[in-house]
Parts: sequence; structure tokens; C-alpha cells
Amino acid sequence: MLTIMDIDIRDLIDEEDDDNQEEMTAQKVLQIVERAWLNEKFSPEILPHQTDYVDCLLEQIKGMEGNLAKLSKTDPKVDLHKLELERIKFVITSYLRTRLKKIESFCVRVLEEEATRSEEDAYLSPAELKFAKEFALNADNHFDTILRHMPHLYNKLDRNKKIIEPNLNSFVFLKCNKHIDSVIIKNTLEGQEEEIVLEDGSQHLMPYSSIAEFVKKGTVQLI
Amino acid sequence: MMHPAEIEYMAENEIIQIVPTFNHASHVHLICGSYGPFRAGLPLNVPIWVALNLRQKKTCRILAPDWMAVDKLQERLEEEKASKFFTQLPTNFYLEITQMLLTVASEDIPQGNDIKTAVKDLWDLRIAKLRSSVDLFVKEGRVQASLNHLTPMEINSVRPIFPDTLDALMTLHEHINSSDDREDSSQSSVATPSSSTSFSLSL
Repeated sequence: MLTIMDIDIRDLIDEEDDDNQEEMTAQKVLQIVERAWLNEKFSPEILPHQTDYVDCLLEQIKGMEGNLAKLSKTDPKVDLHKLELERIKFVITSYLRTRLKKIESFCVRVLEEEATRSEEDAYLSPAELKFAKEFALNADNHFDTILRHMPHLYNKLDRNKKIIEPNLNSFVFLKCNKHIDSVIIKNTLEGQEEEIVLEDGSQHLMPYSSIAEFVKKGTVQLI
Repeated sequence: MMHPAEIEYMAENEIIQIVPTFNHASHVHLICGSYGPFRAGLPLNVPIWVALNLRQKKTCRILAPDWMAVDKLQERLEEEKASKFFTQLPTNFYLEITQMLLTVASEDIPQGNDIKTAVKDLWDLRIAKLRSSVDLFVKEGRVQASLNHLTPMEINSVRPIFPDTLDALMTLHEHINSSDDREDSSQSSVATPSSSTSFSLSL
């Protein structure tokens, strides 16, 4: 007898193969999303979206919930599966909420940057982009409404003054997944630049801007 | 930033040994991997969250990991004392795992109280080391530090205050450096998305 997960994983692998991607197990996808969650939590700026993987997990959850409904309640497996689904949902919601928070905080800047990117290397998912645009529009309308009631002298708002930017030089903790030959760190205190080697598996503290590109490539994990 | 419960979540993904008291011939195919078969009396590996769930339902006994023994922990403690740097521990989540196992399965773990004390000693020692290196780091005005073998919970104990302090220092220095040409003060404001809240840790 095939168990429920066997079927699900096979479906998943087939789907991925169709897209000419390397073979992926549900376990691998979960690990990717968990890593993306941590990176997103600790990075000052919004990172490229991982919608493909999140959607894949959501499909898994849906399929699993359907299968669980068919199983008898006394089956010892049911509790474990349910618990696991709750755990995964927790990570996904936390991940998405972290992103929304950044979109809300840095709305104008995020939209500006997004406008310069092509569809393939977009940082926001289509749904997030829609949210960001609506949020910006609502904020603008809100300010306009208030400013109308202000004295004439003060009822103009400089758009540039509204921009809040993430501090890309903020310090982050990181773990290196792969040997990196050269990372340049700007030392603001002494007005110099330092160059260091990151060994595989080593952990460091440094400004985010120095390793931002490696975080996006996946060679560095924020911790 | 990171809530201790979220670090506990990561710790729960670590693998541990249990001895089930029930029989279940087929594997349980979880998304995070397949585990089984469950045979009464025969040990098998499962993630900690599975172990805790089964233990709470009294359908298994948890085997303490190798490192979770008073003599082993004492060795670690001595090693930590002798070393200038942070030593590598057998797990990244020693504090959380000890805490979780002793809360749910204290009867399964011999010398629970002594283990708790030893782990707390190890934690205190490492945190003291961490605090003094943080102090040195800030005073020397450095911008990069190696933190090998520091565990997530230990890192979290100096977050957000430590990175925030450094951020503030850097911003101050930038302002001092640019105070000569002060007129171009059209800088946009900089912020982090989360309003930082601090918390204290206790075992």
C-alpha cells in the first residue's frame, strides 16, 4: 500500500521535473523556506521572493490536509502530521508577515527599486507588488486628506522627505556556507576598507552591505 | 527580531533517540522526512518535536543525547574555561534541548538536576566570555568579528542591543565626518522595520 506522502512527493517531483529543475523533495523545499525565513528576519532590506517554494509547500499542506480528513482519528500518525502542518504554517506565516512589515516600512523605496527590475529578477511576488502599490496609494490619499486641513503654509509635503530607507550598513550575524575569497568591509570609523576571507562554516558579525550579494546567492546564511 | 520560542522551534528539528512503547509497522512519512518503523522497546531516531509529542502522550521514552550527562558536560566546561575562544559544542541548541527534555521527560533523564546546573554553568561561562568580547569589540571600534561556534540562543542574548549599538556608533561617526560640509543635510531617515524589544533569558 502506498502511503499518502509517497504519492505527494512523487507528484511534487514530477512537477519540478516538468520545469526542468533539479530533483526536489518536500524536505528540501521545507529547508529552503526555513532558511529564507531566517534570512528575511535578519536582513534589513527585503530579499528576492521565494514564492515558488512557498506555493509548493502550501500545495503540500493542502494535499496533506485532504488526506488526513480521510484517515481514522485513532491512527497515531494523524497527530504527528497535524502537528507538522501547524509548524510549517507557522514558518510560512512568519516569513510572509516579515516581508509585509518591510514593505509597509519602506514602501516608497521598495516600489522605486522594484520598478527598475525585470519580471524575472523581481524581489516582490505579484501579490506583494499589488499590496505595496495599494498601500502606497492609501498612504498618499491619507496624507492628502490631512494636509487639506492644514494651514496653507504647511499643506505641501515633499515626497522625498517621506522616504524611509532600510539601513543597509546595519550589523548582522552570519554563517558562511561556502568558502568566499574576498569580502570588502568598509570601516566607517577609520575611513578605510578591510578585506577578509570567509571560511566555509565560519560565523561572523559585520555590516549587511558587505555580504548582501552572498545572502541573495545563498552562500551566506544570516543567523 | 528573534523570539526565544522561535529558536526553540529550530532546536526541535534536531534528531534524538526514543524508545516507543507501541508498534507501528509502516514509516510515518512527514514532510521533513520519513521516520519509523516504531517497534515497542527498539530505539529509533526522530525529530525532537515528534519525541516530545509522543512523550506527552506517554507512548515513548526519550533517550538523553550522549552529551547530556554530568561528566560529559563537566568536560565541556573545563574545555571552555581553558580556551580563549568559544569551543565547539556537540549541538547548537544545548540550552534549549536540555530545557525541553527536562520539562517534558524529566523521569527519562538520570541526574536531571545536576545536568541542569552543569548546562547553566556552561551557558553562564560562555555568556560572560561573549559579554567581555562585545565590550572589547565596541571599544576597539572594529567592524568585523569572528564568532565561530556561538549558538543561535547565545547570539540572540546580545541582540538587538549589540548590533543596534554598533549601528548607532557608525551613524554618529558618519555625522562627525560629514559635519564639515553640513549644509547638504538632505538625508532621508533610516529605520529598521521592527521596533526592537529586549527580553531577558532565564533557565
